[in-house]
Amino acid sequence: MVDTDLVKVHFILDDLLVQAPQGTPLQEIADHAGADITFGCRSGSCGTCRVRVTSGLEDCSPAEAEERDFLASLEAPADHRLACQVCANGDLEIEYLGL
Amino acid sequence: MNTLASLLLERPLLLDGGMGTQILARKPTVDDFGGLQLDGCMEIFNERRPEWIRNIHAAYFDAGADAVETNTFGANDVVLGEFAIAHRTEEINLLAARLAKDVARSYDRTRFVVGSVGPGTKLITLGHIDPDSLFESYRAQVRGLLLGGADSILIETCQDLGQVKTTVRAARAAMADTKIQRPLWVQVTVEATGTLLLGTEIFAALTAIEMLGVDALGLNCGTGPDEMYAPLATLAEASPFLLSCLPNAGMPVNESGNLIYPQTPEIFAEKVAAAAKTFGLNIVGGCCGTTPAHIRALAQRMANVGLTRRTPSMERSVSSLYQGVTLRQEPRPLIVGERTNANGSKAFRDALAKDDFDALVGIAKDQQREASHMLDVCVAYVGRDEVRDMDEFLKRLVTQCTLPLMIDSTEPAVIERALKLAPGKCVVNSINFEDGEGRARQILDLCRTYGAAVVALTIDEQGMAQTLEQKLVVAQRLVDLVIGEYKFNPSDLIIDPLTFTLGSGDEAYRRSAIATLDAIREIKARHPGVLTMLGVSNVSFGLKPAVRHVVNALMLYHGVQAGLDLAIFNSGKVIPVARIPEDQRRATEDLLFDRRSEGYDPLKVLLEIFGNGKVADMTASSLEAMDPSARLRQDILDGEKQRVLGDVDEALKFHDPLHLINEVLLGAMKEVGERFGAGTMQLPFVLESAETMKAAISRIEPLLPKESSTSKGRIVLATVKGDVHDIGKNLVDIILSNNGYEVANLGIKQPVEAIMAAVDQAPTLAVGLSGLLVKSTAIMRENLISMAEKGYTLPVILGGAALTRDFVEQECRPLYKGPVRYAEDAFEGLRILDASRSGDLAELEVPVQASKITVLRRGEASVPLTPEGRSSWVKRSDTIPEPPFWGVKEVAHGPEDLFEFLDTFVVIRNRWSFTQGQLSDADFDQVIKGKAEPLLASWKQRLLAEPLLRPRARYGYFPVQAAGDVLKVFAPDRSQILSEFVLPRQAAGRRLCIADYFEPVGSSRFDVMGLQLVTLGRETAEHAAKLYAANQYSDYFSFHGLATELTEAYAELIHSQIRRELGIHQRDAKQLRQLFSQGYQGSRYSFGYPACPDLEGNVPILELLQGAELDVEITEGFQMVPEYTTSALVTWHPQARYFAV
Repeated sequence: MVDTDLVKVHFILDDLLVQAPQGTPLQEIADHAGADITFGCRSGSCGTCRVRVTSGLEDCSPAEAEERDFLASLEAPADHRLACQVCANGDLEIEYLGL
Repeated sequence: MNTLASLLLERPLLLDGGMGTQILARKPTVDDFGGLQLDGCMEIFNERRPEWIRNIHAAYFDAGADAVETNTFGANDVVLGEFAIAHRTEEINLLAARLAKDVARSYDRTRFVVGSVGPGTKLITLGHIDPDSLFESYRAQVRGLLLGGADSILIETCQDLGQVKTTVRAARAAMADTKIQRPLWVQVTVEATGTLLLGTEIFAALTAIEMLGVDALGLNCGTGPDEMYAPLATLAEASPFLLSCLPNAGMPVNESGNLIYPQTPEIFAEKVAAAAKTFGLNIVGGCCGTTPAHIRALAQRMANVGLTRRTPSMERSVSSLYQGVTLRQEPRPLIVGERTNANGSKAFRDALAKDDFDALVGIAKDQQREASHMLDVCVAYVGRDEVRDMDEFLKRLVTQCTLPLMIDSTEPAVIERALKLAPGKCVVNSINFEDGEGRARQILDLCRTYGAAVVALTIDEQGMAQTLEQKLVVAQRLVDLVIGEYKFNPSDLIIDPLTFTLGSGDEAYRRSAIATLDAIREIKARHPGVLTMLGVSNVSFGLKPAVRHVVNALMLYHGVQAGLDLAIFNSGKVIPVARIPEDQRRATEDLLFDRRSEGYDPLKVLLEIFGNGKVADMTASSLEAMDPSARLRQDILDGEKQRVLGDVDEALKFHDPLHLINEVLLGAMKEVGERFGAGTMQLPFVLESAETMKAAISRIEPLLPKESSTSKGRIVLATVKGDVHDIGKNLVDIILSNNGYEVANLGIKQPVEAIMAAVDQAPTLAVGLSGLLVKSTAIMRENLISMAEKGYTLPVILGGAALTRDFVEQECRPLYKGPVRYAEDAFEGLRILDASRSGDLAELEVPVQASKITVLRRGEASVPLTPEGRSSWVKRSDTIPEPPFWGVKEVAHGPEDLFEFLDTFVVIRNRWSFTQGQLSDADFDQVIKGKAEPLLASWKQRLLAEPLLRPRARYGYFPVQAAGDVLKVFAPDRSQILSEFVLPRQAAGRRLCIADYFEPVGSSRFDVMGLQLVTLGRETAEHAAKLYAANQYSDYFSFHGLATELTEAYAELIHSQIRRELGIHQRDAKQLRQLFSQGYQGSRYSFGYPACPDLEGNVPILELLQGAELDVEITEGFQMVPEYTTSALVTWHPQARYFAV
């Protein structure tokens, strides 16, 4: 089995730098590393885990319809995502908004 | 005479090939486009780079093309509007046509210019744009093309029938505007799927477009020549117009990111020329991927291809967006569903009165299922805006229903609106001569403009024709006008000779059915081709439903004998005549044919026969034709609980009960599970299927031989100690028990001793443990240890919201000797059990991977604690709000108040699990609009009507001060400490603790803390339990989810009241959706959630608010009962948000 590439995720609020296999859900990375991101429903409908992706937005897995609808209903800027819905396909800088 | 027309009489016309790729090959820069704003606007090159376009046209002419298409594919208001130059539409088209015409004139032989009109970027039938805007958009384009000298107008690459209809109208209007008449050609795009983009079959497209009287109809784009053979064959056989074919150079293949059209000029030319011979094509050319080289090759091949004469014949039909339906059905008649009619159906009228258009669509779909061929649509309702209602209804209906429509209205404005919205060929119902011919002509003009057939009633200035003679006089007059003067195809005239009721006993109508049946016979004989229709059920108006069914059925039968072609009828109520008992049939026929004698009145006899009102429900539908066990399977898949019992009884006549359960029913449930797993079926539908399954099994079970067992094994299922959450476990119960397992559902809060005792009671296949709380995951772990100690080894399956696969694999599995598995949902549980039975459990193994997540750097805690032990991130505030009172207040609310704060998004998507899965956007939208939203609407209505909720709340304000992690709560007079909340603090990061949002001890000021407790009352929990006990799974699931979210809504309501009372409501978000995402100042924390996970905090809240007053109690595990209850601690602090410790 070929080792998958590793990506680095930086959680700005806690200055926490974590390495994980490419494609790992951000939620799993945050949980594992104990990052200060609050998850509510973990299914993309409460908005508690809303983050700003300050770097690597294009390396986030694309939003599915439900997340898109949700963020659109909040008129969220384009760099906002729901952390529970993102997989890290590349290096990311994540700022938890605590909104 | 247009010389283009004369050329087409002699030989096939050769058109050009692709334009876009030829332009792009010149690698246009932003400067070529004329700035960023126009970047991508190909039509601007007519003005900015005319030499390019000229050269492309010349290259095609040089290659041998007889005609080129103008570079105006997207030159309409809508597309140009995207580049902010919509106002230049006409000008750009004029320019483009003139440019092409200049090139054409430079050749010796006569060459032509075809004005290209593309499909635009908005689909009218999906509501992306309204008909009138689209109409004007194309009208301006075609005007420009005509004025610029185009020799014909080609409406091409059509994907949406609605767009074709609108654009043809617009082109005709433009010809009237400019007084320039040119041939009008239409080309549709058939995708590789065999239909137009929106699902339109080619015959449906032909049926609708045939009515528009264009000059040529053909195909372009979408596929290569090979794939066009099947639709071309249909058109060649039936289309009365010239036939065109402009394929792509094969189906594109993706080569390293570039779309490549594979067919070489030679291959392409050979195939197109072969098609031209086979089908008698009149116009050929190329589309995407074709070049001047392709056209050159085609010119050579076509040199020897002459015209092949076709003798097309087309079965007169009507069409929807999707399909064509022939007007002469075999067997007759064509059934027009009558229940989408405000005059014909109470359910329809009621839903209309409530503006519940989705329910109206539901009624339409019912009729579709019951095998109507067409729907009569009438929204006339006194006091309502009929045009608006037609608009709202049809917008939804045309995409959701596959049946053609009969537009039933007497108002021209309503008819016109409907004909604009319906993409297919409709029938207008109806015209008559009651007020002379004026209105009839007005409606016939609309039919001609929009391409509709018409129903004509035998009514004239004298009134409704009752006798045969009167009926025939009016029929003749109708034929003279509609066919003679308006030149309709005879079969687009449908005469309704009227039916009157025989149910009143009125002497004047005694012979009316005879006159009607004779009229049908005579009209068919005198006016060949003209069709007839009856509103059959009028014949029994005023009688009891049971009598009506029989009278209607026999009237229909005799109508068909007389030659009736169409019948407006409730298709679900068609009784096969052979099933009508002899005495009923005789009396009914005597009534219809007025056979009476002294002392014998057939109406009286009928009423006597039906006096006791019993008549078998003898409905016929397409399902009837199925084998009973196939029908049973379909019932399960469709969740048809109402129908399943009858089908079980029927199936039992042919099959043995064990076979039905094991093969048919379980097989169907297996498919349900597979569909759920594949993301094409959603949980609410799964539950309907399970409910149907349950009903079917209960019916069969008593018939099973005593010694036989259908059980696949016994499962012990429980929610673990300290956890009151029921729903997840119950879903598992539903799925397992309806897939052949026997489930011992122990209930909630089950200590491990009780679980083990249950296992000991009977042979058990496996244990399933469930729990929602984070704490429950630890309990499951402890349970496994206990079970291991006692020597159990049967499989244990764990599930629940807070559980993760990793936790089960890594923390739980090593503790227990037998198999321990995580199940993400009920179906995974089922798969595990099935695998366990068949000994394949190991195959389900997912190799456990060591976590590869590593922390590379952990920064210092971002902020240090203050000397008082508080997060220095939280700032103290200058002013503290003043509450309107100190202490506690009780309030009560109605369901409607809660609805205002209901997060419908969460109810539908989360609580009810309506998630998109693998559904397309359109299918998902249909699920939401057709199922989820109506479900919510009906529940709301029930909750308003029935006492299922009793929302009450207590809330209040207390003076507080914080000492580190402890929040001290004082009596309103500050004389004593009433209670203390010990709150957890984040170990890292901002080091937050809820206490930090309040003034510290030692401050001269007291802070204000809000507390709130809301409950829907015991009634709600009892109702949920009742639904579950009654196996009403889907009601149970939806009620539970809605009640849970209404509890949240209530908390949101009280919280918003608190903010208002504290005067911090100015920052409340205006939109509910945002409000639900903490769009306000301050925060509301509930115990058991991430900022304060321990439920113990519920104890002081209940004490301080005297929860007992609301009948709210607390369990040993510190959860509140009744279930639909929630409490919270409220802070006004601007920095307070949710966080996790």
